Amino acid sequence: MKLRLRLALTAVAVTVPAVFALVQVEHSVRRRTTDEVIIASTLSQMQSGGRERCESAPETWMVRSRSPQRPPWEREGPPDGNGGPPSGTVAPNEPSGNGPASGGPRPGDEGPPRPGARGPLGRRLPPVSLYPFDGQFVSRNPQAPALDDELRKGVQDDGVGVRRYSKADGALVQDLLLRMSWDGGPCEYVLARRVEPAESPEVGLPPLYVWGVPTLILLSAMVVALGPVVQRLRRLTDEVRASSGSRYEQPVTVNGTDEIAELARAFQQARAEIQAQMAHQQAREQTLRDFLANTTHDVMTPLTVLQGHLAAMQQRMRAGEPLESGLMLSAMSEAHYMASLVHNLGAAARLEAGAPQVQHAPVDLNALVSRVLGRHQPIARPQRIALESGVPATQTWVMGDETLLEQAVSNVVLNGIRYGREDGHVAVVLETTRQQTFHLRVIDDGPGISEEERSRILERRFRGNSARTREPQGQGLGLNIVHNVVELHGWKMTLAPSEYGGLEVAFTGPLMSPPG
Amino acid sequence: MGDRILLVEDDDQLGSQIVGHLRGAGFDPVWWREGRLLVSGDLPDVSLVVLDLMLPGTYGLDMLKALRTFSEVPVLILSARNDTLDKVRALRLGADDYMTKPFWPEELVERVRARLRRPTLQKEQAVVEVGPLRIDLQGHTVQVQGRPVELTRVEFELLAALARRPQEAVTRQWLVEHVLDPEREGTERTLDVHVSRLRRKLGPVKCVETVWGVGYRLVPGEDA
Repeated sequence: MKLRLRLALTAVAVTVPAVFALVQVEHSVRRRTTDEVIIASTLSQMQSGGRERCESAPETWMVRSRSPQRPPWEREGPPDGNGGPPSGTVAPNEPSGNGPASGGPRPGDEGPPRPGARGPLGRRLPPVSLYPFDGQFVSRNPQAPALDDELRKGVQDDGVGVRRYSKADGALVQDLLLRMSWDGGPCEYVLARRVEPAESPEVGLPPLYVWGVPTLILLSAMVVALGPVVQRLRRLTDEVRASSGSRYEQPVTVNGTDEIAELARAFQQARAEIQAQMAHQQAREQTLRDFLANTTHDVMTPLTVLQGHLAAMQQRMRAGEPLESGLMLSAMSEAHYMASLVHNLGAAARLEAGAPQVQHAPVDLNALVSRVLGRHQPIARPQRIALESGVPATQTWVMGDETLLEQAVSNVVLNGIRYGREDGHVAVVLETTRQQTFHLRVIDDGPGISEEERSRILERRFRGNSARTREPQGQGLGLNIVHNVVELHGWKMTLAPSEYGGLEVAFTGPLMSPPG
Repeated sequence: MGDRILLVEDDDQLGSQIVGHLRGAGFDPVWWREGRLLVSGDLPDVSLVVLDLMLPGTYGLDMLKALRTFSEVPVLILSARNDTLDKVRALRLGADDYMTKPFWPEELVERVRARLRRPTLQKEQAVVEVGPLRIDLQGHTVQVQGRPVELTRVEFELLAALARRPQEAVTRQWLVEHVLDPEREGTERTLDVHVSRLRRKLGPVKCVETVWGVGYRLVPGEDA
């Protein structure tokens, strides 16, 4: 539903009951005022000679005031007394205004009517008829209507019995039974009856101008006030649409201090957040693409070499020539390298995904060294590279991610083998100190790495870089992973020339007590 | 035939390769092509189990769990998955070793051998015999081909330290710290001097081997 329509409907829904309640209040005030006027005028009439006339002929006494042109309380002068033969019209005085009149006469009632005193809404008062009743609520006048219990009870309790009811034709009948200030006699009680015809304004709604005008004013004020709000909202909607259409590059420009401006600011914040997320996502995707491209390249190269070797072997077999061991060895080496690349791929993916992917658990470094050596022995031996290891007699426990640690040590060992010289050596030495630290060294007697290259490897924070080569001095994905893993474990890694002329890669970190 | 080894592997090619290599290495392999939830009595009399994780029938780790309720036979896990959680879980469930694919057959055979050898190495022996060498760790005597050899205290301690872990390399640093007197000249240089004296006394049998970059190792040796 549109905002304007909703607000208009809400206004109507609130106004209608409010008008209804106001009309009810107005009706009740008017009735009470009418009661008071009738009571006061009746009492004053009875005291100014009415009693004598009534008591002298109770069988026929009855007063019917003619419908006055104006309500009696609007007249300036005394009422014109042209009633029935025994008396004139009801000559009401100004109402006392002190709540329901008591039975007795009051001095104030005798005073002259105050100018400007008006009945409710200044309307005419319909005719009032008076009937006498004695102490037994019996009237000697046969024309008097019967009294019901409500009136009797009312007059006994409060001095005035009041009853209202509607006739079948819609006319409103108002009965007031009053006790006079004297006791006994046929006119001890007087019933004042007033009949309001159905078409009287008192019965229906008040006139349209009473409630229609304020309602109209309220509605138009609402529509006027709402105009700019709706306009601002529309502008904001358009700008948000345009922004989302431009991949959130277009800003939202709705300003101000109201709630709509606040909404615009909230959207601006959301937009900034979305843009940051998108940039992050794009960076990640780019990294992944680069990584995939590099890895594909890295795997494709040894795979091509391997295919070449296998094809050469097949040719030799067809020609009946003996297989060359160097060819075979090279093929094996390429397959081995590919396996290590794929393992590195997994490790790099986990490192890239961040710390939650890293599982810390007790790791036995002795077993780890043994596994790493076992994996590379089959490729080191045929290349005539001696692969040796020395570990403590008892297990060496550290806290870490077994897969990543194994991959890191594996990478260093494989580098030593791949770039080692023939009849060379690679050794893994694991030692513990009394300060509860371990010292794991991988040493070789290969060509080593220059001072400049070593410091670059240690200083630089590698991320999937494209400067990877298979050369000994290259900073392949292998060392990149080693560096990250060591950093992730809070260990220390040093690169130094080994005492045998090659490279020494050393890891140092804390030991843990053996797991229970 | 050597030890019987149970192989549980569903891949035909890999399975037959492993069986071939184990047989070539002198073992007697039994090959199951699918996993079974074992109960006591189902397991054939084998010295070691090589267990693949991804199996039809039942998951390898469930099989290991069931196996461990009644048997302490060494179990070597084979898996294509290189996940730390898997490894930690397998080791907690009682696996003895873990190999990730791809691996060289030679590596598998070595690992099987190492696993089968371990229990005998764990108990401290009073007398160690390595090749022609006989070392009485309690009596502090050494014989080469039945002929007694006189050694100094340091030389004997050095030989004994190597004899406690035959075939394994012992680092020079460890030997310096545990064999040499730290009060006196306890450097690796001194250690090398002691080793060369020891070698001379043991005669032509080359039992004390230098391990490049690491230290020394006691091997059966050969006559020069």
